[in-house]
Amino acid sequence: MLGFIPVTSASERNSCTPFNPVTFGILPFISAEQLVDRFSPLAQYLSKQLNISIRIETAPDFVEFARRTHEDQRYDILYTAPHFYPQANSKAGYQLIASVDSPGMWAVIVAPEKSNIRTVEDLKGKRLATVHPMGLSSLLVRKYLTAHNIDPDKDITMIATPTHDASLLSSYHDITDASALMQPPYAAASQQVRNSMRIIANTESTPHIPISVSPRISKNCAAQISSLLLNMGNTIEGRKVLKHTRFSGFKQAKKDEYEKIRDLLAH
Amino acid sequence: MINKSIPLFYSLRFRLIASVVTIEIIMLSIMVWNNISIIHTTHTDRLRDTATSMLQQIANSAGRHMVAVDYATLEDYLSNIINYKELSYIVIVDRDDRAVIALGTTAPELRPEIDTHPKQVEDGLFDVAADIKVAGQSMGRVLMGFSLARMDDAIYKSRNRGITIAMIEIILTISVTVLIGLGLTRRLSLLSNAAAEVEAGNYSVTVPTENNDEVSKTAIAFNRMVAEVYSRTQQLKKAEEKSQQLLTENRQLIRASLEVQEQERKHLARELHDELGQCLTAIQADAELISDISRDKDKRITTSAGAIIDVSSRVYDVVHSMMHRLRPSILDHLGLVEALKDEIDAWKKRHTNTTCDFICSGDLNNLDERIRINLYRIVQECLTNISKHATANNICIELFNVNENILLRVTDNGSGFDMTSSSRGLGIIGMRERVASIDGNMELETSPGDGLTISITVPLIIKS
Repeated sequence: MLGFIPVTSASERNSCTPFNPVTFGILPFISAEQLVDRFSPLAQYLSKQLNISIRIETAPDFVEFARRTHEDQRYDILYTAPHFYPQANSKAGYQLIASVDSPGMWAVIVAPEKSNIRTVEDLKGKRLATVHPMGLSSLLVRKYLTAHNIDPDKDITMIATPTHDASLLSSYHDITDASALMQPPYAAASQQVRNSMRIIANTESTPHIPISVSPRISKNCAAQISSLLLNMGNTIEGRKVLKHTRFSGFKQAKKDEYEKIRDLLAH
Repeated sequence: MINKSIPLFYSLRFRLIASVVTIEIIMLSIMVWNNISIIHTTHTDRLRDTATSMLQQIANSAGRHMVAVDYATLEDYLSNIINYKELSYIVIVDRDDRAVIALGTTAPELRPEIDTHPKQVEDGLFDVAADIKVAGQSMGRVLMGFSLARMDDAIYKSRNRGITIAMIEIILTISVTVLIGLGLTRRLSLLSNAAAEVEAGNYSVTVPTENNDEVSKTAIAFNRMVAEVYSRTQQLKKAEEKSQQLLTENRQLIRASLEVQEQERKHLARELHDELGQCLTAIQADAELISDISRDKDKRITTSAGAIIDVSSRVYDVVHSMMHRLRPSILDHLGLVEALKDEIDAWKKRHTNTTCDFICSGDLNNLDERIRINLYRIVQECLTNISKHATANNICIELFNVNENILLRVTDNGSGFDMTSSSRGLGIIGMRERVASIDGNMELETSPGDGLTISITVPLIIKS
C-alpha cells in the first residue's frame, strides 16, 4: 500500500489544509438529495479524520461534471464514473488513490416479464430506456448491442432518462419496451418491480468507481485520504459510514484497469 | 292649533330617532373598525403566508442546484419568480456566505434584519430568509424581500372603501330612521297638539283615526274622552253659573236681610226711645209729683210713689241698654271710631284681665252707614268670640284708611284654631257675609296656639 501512495516530504506530510474547504466532487448519478444523503457521512468522516472541511459538490449533468473535472479541476477529491477517470487523469492530472471494493460494474438490459422480449435480438424496433448517453450503463449497453450486431442508433430507439430508477420504471410502466441500467441500482430496486422484470442481457464488467484527487492536493494529503479510505473497514465508525454508503469498502486501485475502458466513450 | 313647544331633548321623536341613529353609528363604527382590522390582518397574514410559501419552495428547489453549483438554472428559475408583483429581491447565498444570485430592484444586505411578520416591518420591506438544505446539510441561504407598498395600497383602498360604504350606510340609516321616526311620531304629535288644544279649552279638536293601530285606538279614545269632557264641562259650567247666580242672590238676600235687620233695630231703638222712654219719663215725673204732694199727708202714698220712681228708673235703664244694643246712637252721632272706643271701653270693663288696644289712623269720618254699622258689628262679633273661645289676654284692634280702602285688623294672642277644620262657628260665616255685603275682603291667619288675626279690607264709601 505504501508503494502505491506517492512519497511525500516531511513538511507536506504535516500539512493537509491547502484547500479548506476541500471539494468532494461526486458524479450526479443519482438525484442531488440522494447524493448528499448518501455521501455526507463519508465526507464528514474524512473531514473529521483530516481535520479539514470537506464539501460535497456535484454538477447538473454528466457532461458538465466532466467539463468541470477536465477543464476546471474543480473537485479536489473526485468520485466519478470508471470511464471518466482516464480522461480526468490525462486531461486534468487526477491521481487515483482508491476504488470501491467490489468485483466490478456492469449494466443489465431488462424487459417486463409479460413482454415477448427475451433476447437482445427481440429489442429490434423497440424502445430502450437508458440513462444519460454518457452514462456508463449507456456506453456499456451500446457496446454490448454493437457486439451483438445491433446498431443502437438504427435498430432500436434509445430513450435517455434522468436516472437509473427512471430508466427501470419506464418499462415497468410500459412507457418503453425495455430498460438499460447498472446492475447495483437494479439489485436495489423493489422486489415487486424486479419480480415483474426479466434480465435479458448482462454487459461486460468494468472496474468499480475510482476515487482520485486533483493535483492541488498534496501527496501527503492524498496519502492520508487514501489511507483513511482503505482502512475504513477497520474501525467501527468507518464501518458505519461504509454501510450507509452501501459500499463494502475501498481497495487500492490500478490505473491500468481503467485505461482499458478508455475506449468506451468512443461508443 | 296650539303647539306647545317641547324642548328638543325631551321630544319623543328626537329621542327615538337619536337613539336609533346613535346605535347605528356605534354599531357601524365598530363594524368598520373590525373590518379594517380584519383587512389589515388578512393582508399581512396573506403576505406572510405567501412569503413563507415562496421562501420554502425556493429553499427546497434550490438545494439540488446549490449542490450541483448550477446557478444558471437556478437563476432562470428565480427570474420567473422575481416577477411576482410584491417581491423586491431574491438573493441566494452559498455556503461561504457569498451572494451567488441577486435578483430584484433592491440591493439588500447579505444579513438583513429578518422580519417574522409584516406587522413588525418598519423599513417598508418584509425581509425573510431560510436555509437551503439538502439531506439535512446546509447548502446556503435564500433571502427574499417583499415590498409592503402594494399591500399598504390595497389596505388603504379597502379601508377607504369600507369607510365610504359605512358613511353611505350611516347616511341612509339616518335618512330612513328619520323618515320612519317622523312617520311613527307624526300622529303622536297630532295627539299631543290636540291634548294641548283641549287643555287650552278648545274641545272642537279631533284627532284623525285613519289606521287601526294602537295610535288610532288611542286617538279614538281621545276623541271620545274630549267629547265627554266637553259635555261634562258644559254641564259644570251651567251648574257653576246657576250656583253663582244663587250665591249672588243669596248675598243680595243676606245684604237685604242685614239691612232690614239694622233698619228694624234702628226703628225699634227709636220707638223705644220715643215712645217707651217718654212714657217712663212721664211716669217718673208723675210719681215724683205724687211723692211731693203726699209727703206730709200719707206716708204710704209717699212710699208707693218712691217705689214707682225706682221701678221706672230701672225700666229706663233696661230700655236704654236695649236701645244701645239695637242701635248705638253714638255710631250715628259721633261716628265709627267713637262708637268702637265706647264699645271697647265697655268690653274692657267686663274683661279686666285682658288688655285691648285700639289704633286708628286716616280719615275715618263720614263713612257710609252700611260700612259703619257692619264694621261695628264685626268688631262686636270679634270681641264676643274672643271672650267666649280665645282665652286671650292681649287684643289689638286697628282701623286704617289706606289708599281709599278701609282696613280693619283684629289680632289676639288666644288659642287660635285649625283653618282646615270644618267645625268653625257661625260667627266667622256671619262676618264673611257682612264683609261681602259691603264688597269687602276678609282673610284669616291662625293656627292652633298662635292666636288669630282677622284682616278686612273694604272699599271706601263716603256717606252720601
